[in-house]
Amino acid sequence: MKHNSTARTLAVLVLLGVAAFPLYWMLVTSLTPSERLFDDTPNLLPTLSQIGTYAAAFTETSLRQWLVNSLIVAVGTTVLSILLSVLPAYALSRLTFNGKLLLGFALFMTQMLPEAMLVVPLYDIFTKLSLLNTLLGLILANTAFTVPVVTWILKGAIDGVPSEIEEAARVDGCSRLGIVLAVVVPLIAPTLAAAAVIAFFHGWNEYVFAQTFISDDALRTASVGLASFVGELSTPVHTVMAVGFIYTLPAVVFYLFVQRYVVAGMTTGGVKG
Amino acid sequence: MMSRTVSQPRAAARRAPIDHGRWVPALFVAPVALYLLVFQGYPLVQEFLLSVTSTSLLSPGQQTYVGLDNYRELVFDPEFHQVLRVTAVYTLVCVVASIGLGLLAALLLDGTFRGRGIARALVTIPWAAPPVAAALIFVWMFNAQYGLFSHLAQFFGFADGGVNWLDEPSFALPAILITTIWQIFPFSSVVILAALQGVPSELREAAVIDGADRLSIFRAVTWPTIRPSVALLTLLITVWSLRRFDVIWLMTQGGPLGETNTLVIDLYRRAFVYLDLGRAAAVGIIGLVVAILVTLVYFWLSTRAEKAAGKR
Repeated sequence: MKHNSTARTLAVLVLLGVAAFPLYWMLVTSLTPSERLFDDTPNLLPTLSQIGTYAAAFTETSLRQWLVNSLIVAVGTTVLSILLSVLPAYALSRLTFNGKLLLGFALFMTQMLPEAMLVVPLYDIFTKLSLLNTLLGLILANTAFTVPVVTWILKGAIDGVPSEIEEAARVDGCSRLGIVLAVVVPLIAPTLAAAAVIAFFHGWNEYVFAQTFISDDALRTASVGLASFVGELSTPVHTVMAVGFIYTLPAVVFYLFVQRYVVAGMTTGGVKG
Repeated sequence: MMSRTVSQPRAAARRAPIDHGRWVPALFVAPVALYLLVFQGYPLVQEFLLSVTSTSLLSPGQQTYVGLDNYRELVFDPEFHQVLRVTAVYTLVCVVASIGLGLLAALLLDGTFRGRGIARALVTIPWAAPPVAAALIFVWMFNAQYGLFSHLAQFFGFADGGVNWLDEPSFALPAILITTIWQIFPFSSVVILAALQGVPSELREAAVIDGADRLSIFRAVTWPTIRPSVALLTLLITVWSLRRFDVIWLMTQGGPLGETNTLVIDLYRRAFVYLDLGRAAAVGIIGLVVAILVTLVYFWLSTRAEKAAGKR
């Protein structure tokens, strides 16, 4: 088994290299002096004295504003998704009612609708509701796509809560709503956290709605701001990569911290369907 | 697991008439139902209605009912045939490669070894990176003159000058596939890794004692346990590939010569570049029908597999 484990270690290292390299490359590029970006042989190591690029990323672009907008959209999407999903998840798991199957089907259907397909009709609706060119509009549109996933994951978690616990609360005279909020929600807190993370990421990453519905520069999200650099030549490559790295790093670090909950949530709820 | 052991009292509770009125489920479900109707149902109906009209932003206000004309013209349009072909290739390769790579990664990361926790965390980095950022870094790596992949091609003697990856019809789709697969294989690996925890270790040990080789252990013990997860991944990745917009749009916008023009990209181009909303909507509806068909096939196959397993 000894030589076997060396081979495995090597294979794991290759795997991790493939996974992590593009982000490393983003960092290296952001920390390479302009004139050396176009050398015949690429520089594989960062030039640490170039750290000033990161300050420039904030002063030369509207990065600060973009990040704030993305954060607002992501947090808004998360809060609204959770608020909308807890009760239907409970109903799908515990209650019997007419149209239960239909609701389940409708939730599943939304997984198949591409965002890009609903851009045109949503544009129309948002124009009528004066939500075009607002962050609230983005939150509302994103939530329509996160609610089904979040509901499904929460339903999976509620399925696993022993119903005796609820019975006890019922005997004590708790209302249904009281039971859900005081008994069920605390018990599924880890899954709730996972679902929140998934919704947050959706909002943080979302591009097509933000690109199409927002025309005011001050309301651009980071995804759209970053995308505006692709194929554009006036901003130096290393500044662009610094912006990209600043946008990416919090997401990756955040994910690494919470991933155990996300994996557990997805495997108990969403993925088992 | 938990729900199994306590299902007895729950079934009893359900049989007995419970004090909650009919309005409880209604109140619980109404907000989300209303929300989805407004932001998914209504737009979907609008999109369908658009698809049977001739609506162009070039002549605003002029909307005429044309029946199935948009669909008919798409069916006979060679460019749309290319769209279908590109979509099929993109989806198929995404599914096969990201599940294959995910399975490989999961098998490598399964079991106990030093640094396992860190390795399992690091492998998910691509999945956590925002797609727009992934597109940006890969566009740079695929840059014709200064990109890393061009340097590599030169280094290994495949090319004298740079390689115009994203502008070369035969290289653009592979470049986009590499980017996409890099992003999604960690998801497959995480799901399969979770499923691998369900492989009974006694069974595997017994097989090892019996002298079974790795491949037969995989076939007889591992594969049956993870098969449902792999099937579900197939469905999810298919549907996601049919939906994916950001990475492809940012890297090539469907070009060169339509070689990366998937259904969703074609839809967006028709709507926002050619301003032909009616035809764009028809493309969208066709894409949706494809996705629904794939899902139905999945459910049909998985219920059949379940029944077969039940009989055994």
